[in-house]
This record gives sequence, C-alpha cells and structure tokens, in this order.
Amino acid sequence: MTAILDISDVRKTYGSYAALKGVSLSVNQGEFIALVGPSGCGKTTLLKQIAGFEDPDSGHIAIAGADMAGVPAAKRPTSMVFQKLALFPHMTIAENIGFPLKLRQKSPTEIKKRVGEMIELMQLKTEYLTRYPRQLSGGEQQRVALARSMVSEPKLLLLDEPLSALDVKLKKVLQAELKRLHRSVGVTFVHVTHDLEEAMMLADRICVMRDGAILQLGTPGDIYYRPAGSFVAGFIGETNLVPITVTKRGEVGIDYRSADVSDADGRIAARLVAGNVGEGAAQLMLRPELLRVLPPGETADGVIEAEVVEMFGKGGTVQYRARSASGLALVVEIPGTSSLPMRIGDKVRLGFAKKDIYVFRAEA
Amino acid sequence: MAEEVPRRWRDPELLVKALPTVILQTTCFLAPLVMTFLLTFQRSRNFQLQWTWDLWTWTDIFSKPHYWTILLHTVFMAVACVAICLVIAFPVAYGLATRFKAWENEIKVLITFAFITDATLKIYGWALFLDKNGMANYLLGSLGLSPEIVAFLFTDWATLLGMVYSLLAFAIFTLYLSISNIDRSLILAAYDAGAGKLRAHWEVTLPLCKPGIWAGSVLIFLLSVGAFLEPKVLGGGKSPMSAELIRQTFETRVNWPLGAALTLMLMVVSVFIVLLFSRLIGLKRAGLAS
Repeated sequence: MTAILDISDVRKTYGSYAALKGVSLSVNQGEFIALVGPSGCGKTTLLKQIAGFEDPDSGHIAIAGADMAGVPAAKRPTSMVFQKLALFPHMTIAENIGFPLKLRQKSPTEIKKRVGEMIELMQLKTEYLTRYPRQLSGGEQQRVALARSMVSEPKLLLLDEPLSALDVKLKKVLQAELKRLHRSVGVTFVHVTHDLEEAMMLADRICVMRDGAILQLGTPGDIYYRPAGSFVAGFIGETNLVPITVTKRGEVGIDYRSADVSDADGRIAARLVAGNVGEGAAQLMLRPELLRVLPPGETADGVIEAEVVEMFGKGGTVQYRARSASGLALVVEIPGTSSLPMRIGDKVRLGFAKKDIYVFRAEA
Repeated sequence: MAEEVPRRWRDPELLVKALPTVILQTTCFLAPLVMTFLLTFQRSRNFQLQWTWDLWTWTDIFSKPHYWTILLHTVFMAVACVAICLVIAFPVAYGLATRFKAWENEIKVLITFAFITDATLKIYGWALFLDKNGMANYLLGSLGLSPEIVAFLFTDWATLLGMVYSLLAFAIFTLYLSISNIDRSLILAAYDAGAGKLRAHWEVTLPLCKPGIWAGSVLIFLLSVGAFLEPKVLGGGKSPMSAELIRQTFETRVNWPLGAALTLMLMVVSVFIVLLFSRLIGLKRAGLAS
C-alpha cells in the first residue's frame, strides 16, 4: 500500500496559541481515516492545512508523493465537505454540483453527464437539479454537498464534521451512506468528527487528537480495547478504571496489587499492558459489558466485590452502577434477559477474564 | 422560512391593527399625492392659482422638449452617480468587511460622521475648495499644472462629485452588510472547487452581494434624482436638474400647477426605472430576495 497523504511534523500557531504541536500522520490509498478529539484539539486545523486554506508554520504535507508547500487550495487534488455544507445559495443544485467541472473548463455536455452520474450515485431525485439548496431538506443538502466534492474526482476527500448538525436518525442514515460511498468509489476519506462512536462506525483507522497532538492512532478495536490512556478510554462509551499498583515490570508481564481486585496470581501478560507502564501507579481498564456478575460459588480471573447503588434499563441491556468497599464506582452492563436480576443494595461479586482487560499508566 | 398564515382582509382584528398605518399613509402620503395630481389641472395667472380644471399644464409639458431634456439629464446624472458610488464603495466595503476587521468600528464612525455632517456645509465646502481661487487650483498651480481645473467648478462633473460625495455612504453601508453576511466557508468552498481569487469573487461574492448592490442602487438613484443643492451650488445652475427645476417653478415662477406636473413626471419616471431594473436583474429568480 502506498501513502496518499504524508504529514510530517506539522506545526501551526495562531498568535500565542499552538493549534498543532508537531503532527505526523500517514494515510494509505483508499483508506477511511477519522480525526477525532474534543473541540480545540487541532483536528479541524489539521484539515485546513491539508486542504490548503492555511499553510503550516513548519513541517511538510505531501499528497500522492507531491509536496504541497505553496500549492493553493484550488490546485490541490483534495476536496472538502464543509461543516455548514457551504452550498452556493444563488446556484441551482445542478450548478452547485457542476461548479468544480465548470472551473476546469469542461464542456456543458460533459458537465451535464457527470452531474447526472453524481445525482444517481447520491440517490437524489433528478427533479432537484433545477431547485435551489434552500428548497431541499438537510439530508438532501448533505448529499448535494458530497456530490459537489466528489464530482471532480479528488484523490482525497476531506470531511469537516458534515454530520454534526443533523438529528440522530438522519445521522445514522448518512453514516451508512458515507460508508457505502467510500466502498464504491475507493477514494481516500479523511473525516473530522468529535464523535468517537461515529469514527468507530466509519473509519478503518482512527487518529485521536488532543491539544494539538496525536494521542493514539489505531484501528477502532485498538482504540476501544487498547486505548493509550484514560483520556482515550473515556472518550467513547463508559469505562471502569481501577487504580492498581505495579510492583514489578518484567519481560512477560507485570505483577500488581489492588485494593479492589482479588486476583489469585496478581499477574497480567505483557500484551495487555501499554508500553509506557512502569512500576508504580497504573490503571486497569474494564469495559462495562466485559464485567460479569458471578453466581455464588463461581469464580473468575479477577473478582471485585461491590454493592449495587443504581440501575438503568437500556432496552436490550441493563446497566448497574456499583460501589466497591474502597469507594470505587463501577459500571456493569449485562443483557436484559440475564437470569441474575439484581436490586439496589445487593452485594455482588463482579468477575472479569484476564484477556478482556488493558493496563495503562495513570494520568495525573 | 416562517409559514404564512392566510388571513382574510376583512378580519376585524387585522383591520384595527392596520388602522394607524393606514391613517398615517393616507394623510401623509396619499392625500398630498392626490392633491398634487389635482393641482396639475389648474392654471397660474399673475402668480395666482386659478381653478380651471383643464389640461393646459399637461399640454404644455408634452409640447415642450425642454422639460424632457432636463428630466433625461437628471436620470443620466443619477445613473452615473449610482455607477460611480458602487465602483468606489465596493472595494471600501469589501476591505471593511474582510481586511480591516480591527479598525472596522473606527472607520464606520468616521464614515458616519462625514455622512451626517450638514449637506449644505459639505457642498459649500466643496465649492470653496474647487473655486477658481480655491485650494484645489492653488495646489495644482503650484505643481506646475495648467489652470484647466478652473473650469471644473460649475460643470456637470462638479455636480456629480458633490452627489457621489453626499450619497456614497449609502452604498458603502448596504454593500458592507451584504459582504459581511456572506459565509466565509462559501468562499473557501469556491477555492476548494478550484477557483482562483478573481473567479471566486466573480462567481460567489458578487452574486451574493446582489441584494446589497440593489438596495444601495435604489436608495442612491432615488436620492440623486431629487438632488437640488449640488446642481445649484457646484453645477452653478447652468444645467439644472429636475429637482431644481421643480423648486424654481414653485418658488420663483410661482407656477404651482406646472410644478406639480413636473413633480409627478419625475416620480413616475423614477419608479418606472426602478421597476424596470428590478425586473432585469431578477432578484427573485436567484432565490435571494425574500
């Protein structure tokens, strides 16, 4: 696989505010990559540097092997879908979609043909062609914006939170649409979002950013089950972080102790431990759905004793909040059909399998 | 867009609510207009108004090309004023809305001050400046230029200068509003689609400014059609414009019927031109007008 986008040590400062503190990232041809992070993490700034709306203070951006320094946005093989869509209100849908081709001096017949193809690809109705953007619904405008970005066959499609303004139901539909589109056209997608769940659904790889730097780059599975730290772990869904003390770091794993967990051998294999964990304080991550309520007499690799304090029905599952003897708050999610219904005040034993956990360094 | 609730015009609530506006419009606008119209059917003899109820005034107007020449001249001057104002105001408004964000308010206050300073004061100021013995000539003379500028005051050019100077602020502010309302991402989208700066300007910024250009043009056109101070003071009254002609007819010649007819003629022609242009520009089609 070849890198279609190569970003190396890109820095950008606005006044005294460092928006990007040396970001390096390589994206493969045809990949769907998501840049995720809270607002102000630099994800949109990075996208602007790739699109060419701004130039980085230092560092390099190369697209398909060509250095982009000094190349204006108009000349880059990229195309952006804007957060506010930025459809031209004074142009019809056909004019909007055909605009990039018109600028490339294509003949009217070719523009008409390509616009027709895009309309079909986006599953829009042909009678929309003569309408104006404000006459279309939010979801339809979204499709038009996508069509306009794809019509010029860019090497890189940049999406700047285009789904953030939509309601949940429509969002789901368009997420599926994006995925289908990515598969059918084979263009590389760089998708900026603050919604890690959306990134998990769509992307091949996720790049989690914070304070202008990349915290972790990995597959959705990596991000979910092997997060680089408590920030990434807490960024999606709920998670249990159990404080532990690493007593010994060895080649094959770590020895640890914890006030909350009773574990027969007190060992965790190296593959379940982040590289930055040394001796001292660390955190053991347990996803709520991987905790089990143990029936009497049964045991597991690790057991935490706790008392149920609250419960929430979530349809297919029931979520329990529990508190261990040391005061640690825990979240457990079990199927609604579970044969072990619990009530508030019940003492329970929560068990986990060693293969389901992950240990990373405790963050200050 | 808000849903419009269809209401019958005979709805008593609606009628009561509309009453103040209706009274105001009738007494202050419609009634004087009707009276002006009725005046045109009378005659003036020995500075006395006579109730003759005939078409003498109108025959006079339609038989003498003099009035029409002045009207044509007025319209031409107004159109020229609109064009010059737009050409000057666009870069100013664009700079104000996009480049000089830090000084935006200071600049706006300065423009407003220049704008609200008394018109008579400003126009006489210009007259003094452009006078044969004025500053402009002195400066040009000391630069070793020929005294051509002497001829500038008391020409149509001087009139135009005064009109543009008085009305420029309307163009600047309407265009400024239009430009600053354009979503920045639309311009970025144009660049992204492959447009250079000029092309993006032509394809996106300008069309989106259309409502502002139009509003400013109508304001300036109607106000310059009514300009009388500038042609009198700066133009020296040599080639009068309609407003000055109307003033003379009422005040100097004390011919009210003729004055009224000339007023109506000017109104009808101005409104007709505005309607014609709004049809030509086609704001509705572009989906920009509400």
